[in-house]
Formats: sequence, structure tokens, C-alpha cells
Amino acid sequence: MNYVLGAVLIIMIVAGLGYYFATQSQTATTSSMMTSSSTGNKDTLIIGTTDSVATTLDPANAYDLFGATIIQNLGAPLYDLRPGGTDFVPALATNYTVSPDGFTWTFNLRQGVMFSDGTPFNATAVKYSFDRGIALNDPTGPFVGVGYGTIINRTEVTGPYQVVFHLNVPFAPFLALMPFSASYIVNPNYAPFNSEVNYTAGDPRHSTPMDLGPYILSEWNRVGGKDVEMRLDANPNYWNSSGGYPKTQHIIIKFYSDSTTLALAVQNGEVDLAYRQLRPTDIIHMESIPSLKVWKGAGSFIQYLVMQENIKPFDNPLVRRAVAAAINRTAIVSTVFQGQAQPLYSIVPIGMMSHQDVFKLYGDANYTYTQTVLSQLGYSSTNKLVIDLWYDQSGHYPSEADIATVLKSSLEASGVIQVNLQGTDWATLDGSNLPAGNMPMWIFGWYPDYDDPNDYTYNFFQTQGSSWLNDHYSSSAADMVIGQALASRNTTERIMLYGQAQQILATDVPLIPIFQSTAYAVSNPNVGGVVIDFPQILRYWLLYETVTSTT
Amino acid sequence: MIFLLLSIVFLVLRVLPGDPARLHFGERAVKPATLIALRHALGTDKPIINQYFDYLIGLLHGNLGKSMADFSPVTQQVMSAFPATLELAIYATAIAVTLGILLGVRASRRYNHPEDHMIRAYGIISYAIPVFYLGMVFQLIFGLGLHWFPTGGRTYPGMEPTGFQWGTLHFATGLYTVDSLLEGSLPKFFTALRYLFLPSLTLGIVLSGVFVRLTRINMLESLRMDFVTAARARGIKERTITYTYALKNAFLPVLTMMGLQFAALLAGAVLTETTFSWPGLGRYLVDRISLRDYTAVQGAVVFFALLVATVSLIVDVLYAYFDPRIRL
Repeated sequence: MNYVLGAVLIIMIVAGLGYYFATQSQTATTSSMMTSSSTGNKDTLIIGTTDSVATTLDPANAYDLFGATIIQNLGAPLYDLRPGGTDFVPALATNYTVSPDGFTWTFNLRQGVMFSDGTPFNATAVKYSFDRGIALNDPTGPFVGVGYGTIINRTEVTGPYQVVFHLNVPFAPFLALMPFSASYIVNPNYAPFNSEVNYTAGDPRHSTPMDLGPYILSEWNRVGGKDVEMRLDANPNYWNSSGGYPKTQHIIIKFYSDSTTLALAVQNGEVDLAYRQLRPTDIIHMESIPSLKVWKGAGSFIQYLVMQENIKPFDNPLVRRAVAAAINRTAIVSTVFQGQAQPLYSIVPIGMMSHQDVFKLYGDANYTYTQTVLSQLGYSSTNKLVIDLWYDQSGHYPSEADIATVLKSSLEASGVIQVNLQGTDWATLDGSNLPAGNMPMWIFGWYPDYDDPNDYTYNFFQTQGSSWLNDHYSSSAADMVIGQALASRNTTERIMLYGQAQQILATDVPLIPIFQSTAYAVSNPNVGGVVIDFPQILRYWLLYETVTSTT
Repeated sequence: MIFLLLSIVFLVLRVLPGDPARLHFGERAVKPATLIALRHALGTDKPIINQYFDYLIGLLHGNLGKSMADFSPVTQQVMSAFPATLELAIYATAIAVTLGILLGVRASRRYNHPEDHMIRAYGIISYAIPVFYLGMVFQLIFGLGLHWFPTGGRTYPGMEPTGFQWGTLHFATGLYTVDSLLEGSLPKFFTALRYLFLPSLTLGIVLSGVFVRLTRINMLESLRMDFVTAARARGIKERTITYTYALKNAFLPVLTMMGLQFAALLAGAVLTETTFSWPGLGRYLVDRISLRDYTAVQGAVVFFALLVATVSLIVDVLYAYFDPRIRL
């Protein structure tokens, strides 16, 4: 018994000492982070996320939301989207002009800007960045994805601080492309023209070519191809430092394996701010905790149903309309997302130029319409329309299995439709079934590339742009109005044309919009500057955490 | 055996639906020609038999290939994730064996008493409880409730140990508890321990059930043997008889089980690492399966297999120490 008591005593002493050392050292680390600046803000902010950089932090390659987030906090574009707004503001450019035919865009650049290594920023760097991205032609990257090489004919340096883009087509949303991560300017000294910049363990400086922005990458730990920890330090050469940015000197990002662990971490005070992805139930729970602050912002993620028009019965537009009428979006939003999303009645999201609720034409859970239309086609309660609905159940899209379940019940509530759910993992859905074209109806999602209705129309029902969906939809009328809208520089005309495009979508119903996300972040109550707007990119340079006492 | 395993894994991955090339694009539009070019670059357009032999030849040269998801060398990725899993495995095994032996011995000494029944119940429950569930319960109690331990990660930001450093000489194991001691930093050591505590306790408890039951049954047999009776007759203390004579005799099956449980430990690590955001091989494997990253999954499985084989070999060598008859 004496041995046991002795062992317990030793363990308690060691544990006590350990706890003391661990907490003291963390307090010391935190204190060094908390050394108050003149503005009374903490010097370091810890952000938690379930995201991870997919491949690299090179704008020629990165085509994921988190990669774009980091690139946009390390770099700078010619024009940026105003945080919380929908208008574009000058960044590395001071102004721009467009030729009357829309083929030539001239940008005058800001002078006196330097990269973090002291290299001056000028028109040559802009040309280098765009030429490099197009020349690298990475098939998985954004330059190919968005089609920069198709849009831009050549980039010309017309002066040390003036650059001209000559386009192949009059591309009206060209300015909207500028805040997209692919358009961010690289440091030519760290961005080889013929190769992409990859992650290099222990060498953050050579792991990204970005350093014109508010932060520089000072630490980046990846294990097994996934991020573990990242540290950003304020860029001493940041061109907008006179504006008081960044508000926090150091940003540390911690990466969590799932939403549950992230929610626990922010509740336990292990991170100051949690952003992406938190589950609706966790958000509701955390709203009731006084020591936490929940931030709500616009979401640009949408989900929709796609129907393949060369597979019966969806080759008949009447069937597609009948299905559209039977969907109960309100039930999906309230049941699956606990009200943390919005019913969507157009493919162009709410809040974006030209958005029209065109699918309200069919109503929500309008079973009378569904029954009437389907009865004309010979369907009845004894001869139901049978649908195989495919969806991802591996978590690629949060809550998709729940969405599929509610969709099934709402469609079957019509009494004339029977839904067979076909759940599968993302690799099978996207990597196998989509190219094979053997799914009659499936649920899909979309994050935007840039803030313009072209991104939500061209890619979904313009014949060439939507070929990737394999839904075999083609409409010359839709192609014509989308083409006209792309070329027009008259905003009123563009709004009208995209409105017409949405009307065509509602008539033909190649796909059915379901909902638009609402984005949430959770922080401790002292954190401020959280702006969650349309691009879903968190601007770290606006974030701050006030300290209650100075040290 | 390893050859058989890697052949099965190779085949199963190819049979699974999903195209590693298409997955690079997610929801994005992609031209058919681009997909064909990428499949060619990844080598997935070749006949399966050619892919198989390419893989075997690479393996013979010690090359696990490049990840199909991000084109990084798989060996580098596996080795970067391995230390975290190894550290978790070491501490979890230590907890499992310590708990298992102490409780098993106690139960055998209190045979058929309520204490024995309670320990047996513990053995069954701990074996049956899902590791992620126990992990979440610990996170809620010790993390959110008592704020004693963090709920995820390997250490506090900025507290990563650098290992031994002297001039240009640098040596690090990747095991945070070891590296912090090599660095001579007690605060970093205890911080790493604090982060390690909940994941290793969770995994350790789940694994301990087998050791409890095995130790108990073998101790019961040993305590009834003649040499124990003889020792008692000579007046040797009961504690010495139990821990020095009987336990050493009963330890051999426990040692065998330690080797066998190592595979179970790695399987448990997959869930534990996900629950505690522990950046190890288990999480790596799960991520890569979802990405249909054939080369990475194959590489991780081969590495796991080699690890299990190595541990089995070590266990065989240890037999000789615990049972001198084997050396004869």
C-alpha cells in the first residue's frame, strides 16, 4: 500500500509541476503576444479552421477557398472588393480606363510600393504575374479554370506605372476578376516563370511568391499534405500601413480535423476566432454562451439540383417544372440549417446584381401544380414518377445527406413522386458518376470565382460553359443573352440581360436552385473587425482583439 | 505478407469508383482533353497491370511515388506524419499496458471478490467503447468542463520544440516530448504532455481492456502453479511472489498481445487522431482515401505493414529475454 501511495504522490507532484510549467509557459507566450500596441489591441490573434490549403500558395495553381484566403492576405490586387460592399476600390492601381469597344483596359499603378524584399513594384511585375499564370497553363489552376488565356490576348507595359490589357473578347466583368486570387501580383524574385512555387518544409519564404499584402508568411507547417499551423506577420513594407493596417501584428492559424473539434476549441478558448466550418447546431449552442460572439455574414455558396436531359423522364421540361414546384426550400432551410441559410429561387445569388426570384413562379411545396402537371403525363398516386436522387454523403458539402432526406420527403409529399436516395462519397459522385453521365438527378454546389452574375450563368446554362455538368442542356436563346451580357459595359443593360437569362432558366429548368448559405464565425467577445461578405474570404488585416489591461 | 497486402490494396483502390484526375477539379468545369492529359500525367490511363508493375518497381527502389492529389513525394508526406502517430502510440501503449497489468494483477489477487467483478466489467466496457465516443466525453469533461486540457492539436502555438541544436548541428526526432527535452525546455515538454494526455489516455483506455483480461487470466494460472506454492512455503512476501515470480511468468502472453495490439492501435489512432485533430498517419490515410490518392494510400498502408512487421519482430526478440527457454 505504501508503494501505491508513494506512486500516487509522485504522480500528483509531477502533474502539478507539469501543469504549472505548461500554464506558465503558455501564459508567458500569450503575454508576449498580448504586449499591447498603441491602439490597445492584442499583437497576436489565433484563428481556428477546418480548412487547409489544397495544394500551393501560388496564384497560378491555388484554386481552393482557403488557398485564396491566404494568398489574398499575403498579396495585393490591382483593384479589390470593398470589405462588406459590392463595389471595387483601387489597391495597387490608382485608376483605370476602358476603351469604348471594351477590348482595352488600362491601369495606372500606385507608385512607391515595394515587395517585402525591397524590390520595387511596377508595371513589369503586373505583366510578369499575368503572363506567368497564363504561360504555366496549369490545367487544375484558376488561370485555365476561369479562362484567363482566352480572355486576355496580351499584357503590355506602356510605362513604368501603366499596364494595358488587350482582350480577345470584350469581357465586361474584367474588373471583377481583379480581386480574385489568380489576379494577385507575384514577386518575380520568388516566382519562377516556368514553374510553380510549392510548399517547402521549413522555408516559408520560398513557399509562396506573395508579399505585397498586409502580411508575410513566416511559418507554415504541413503534415501529410495538410496544414497544421500557419503564422503570418505584419509586412513592414505594406503599402497601406499608413491606413493603420494590419490591425493585428501576428496571425496564427490552427487547423482542426472537423467542425466538432473546432467548436470545442473556440469554446475552450484555444482559438480567438473560429471560421469555417461550424455546424448549425453548434452555432445555435454557441449563440447562448455569453463568453462567445457569433458573427453572421453573407454567403455565396449555393446548392442546386441538376437533371440530366438525355435521361427519361427529365428530357421532358414539364417533369422538371413539376419537380421544381414540389421542392420545399423553407423546410430545408429550417430543418437542415436551423434557419442559417436562405431559400434560393434563382441561380444568381441573393444580393448579386440582376438577381431575380424567378423560381417563385412555381412556388414552394406547390403540390397542386405538381399533381396537375404530372397527371397530364400519366403519373398518379398509383403510378408514381420514380426518381433516383444522387448526393454526396462523405461531407464534401456539409449536411447534404440531410438535404437529400428533406428533399425526398418534400417531393414524396406530392403523392405522385417516389424518390430513391443514392448516397455516395464525393470521389464517386464527382470523379466517376458525373463524367459517366449516369445520374438522372443529383445535388451539387458552387463557390464563386468572382463577384459577377457571369460566374453563375455562363458556367451553368451557356452551352459551352456548362458542358462540365453533363446535363446536356443547350439553349440558343440563353447562349445569346449571356454572350450579350458578357460584352456589354452598360450596367443597366447587363442587369436586363442577366434577368432574361434567369427567365429562360426558369422556363427550361435544367437545374433547380435550392438554397444560399449564410456564413458564420464565432469569436471571443473582444475580437472585432470580422467582415464576412460575398467572397467568403476573411480579411485578417481587419481583425483585432482589444486588451482589457496594458502590460 | 506485405507483398500480398500491397497487392490487395492496389487492386481495391483501382476497383473503387472515382477518378483521381477528375477530383482535382471539384465542381469546376474541365475540358475532356485536360482530363486526358492529367490522367496521362498521373499514369492512371495505363492498363492496371502496367500500373501495378510500375508501382512494384518503384517500391523495390524505395520509391513510394508522388501523391496524386498534390504531387508531393509520398515518402516525405508519410514521414512527416509518422512521428505524431508514433508518439501517440508510445504513450497510449504505456497507458494501456500499465493499466492492464495493474488492474489485471489486482483482479487476480482479489479473485471472485466485488473488486474482481468491477475490474472485469471495466475490461469489457473499455474494450467495447468506441474510441471517438470516449474521446469526445473526455474533451467535454477535461476540456470544456474543467479546462484542464486542450481539446485538440499537438502543442500550443509557438511552443513547438526544435530538438537538439548546437552550432550547425541539429537533431530532432519529431516526437515533441523528446525534442523538448533535447532542447532543454521543460515548459515545452510539459505543454506537449498536456496536449498528448487526452488522446493517449483515450486510446490507452480502449486498448487496456484486452490487457486487463489477459493479465488476470494468466496471473490466476500462475498463482496456482507449484513454484508459487513453493515460494509461499519459503515465506517470501506475497507482493514479491506476485510481481516478481508470477507476473514474469504471466507476462509472455501479454507481450504477444502487445505485438498483436499494435495493428489495433494503429487502427484506433485513425479515429483518435481525427477526434483530437492530431496530425498523424491515421488522419493522413483517411484524407487520402477520400481523395482517391492511390499512391498515398498505398504508401501509407505499406508503411503501416512494415511497422507492424517490425514490432512483431521486436516482440519475438523480447520473448528470449522474458522466457530463457527460447534461447535454448
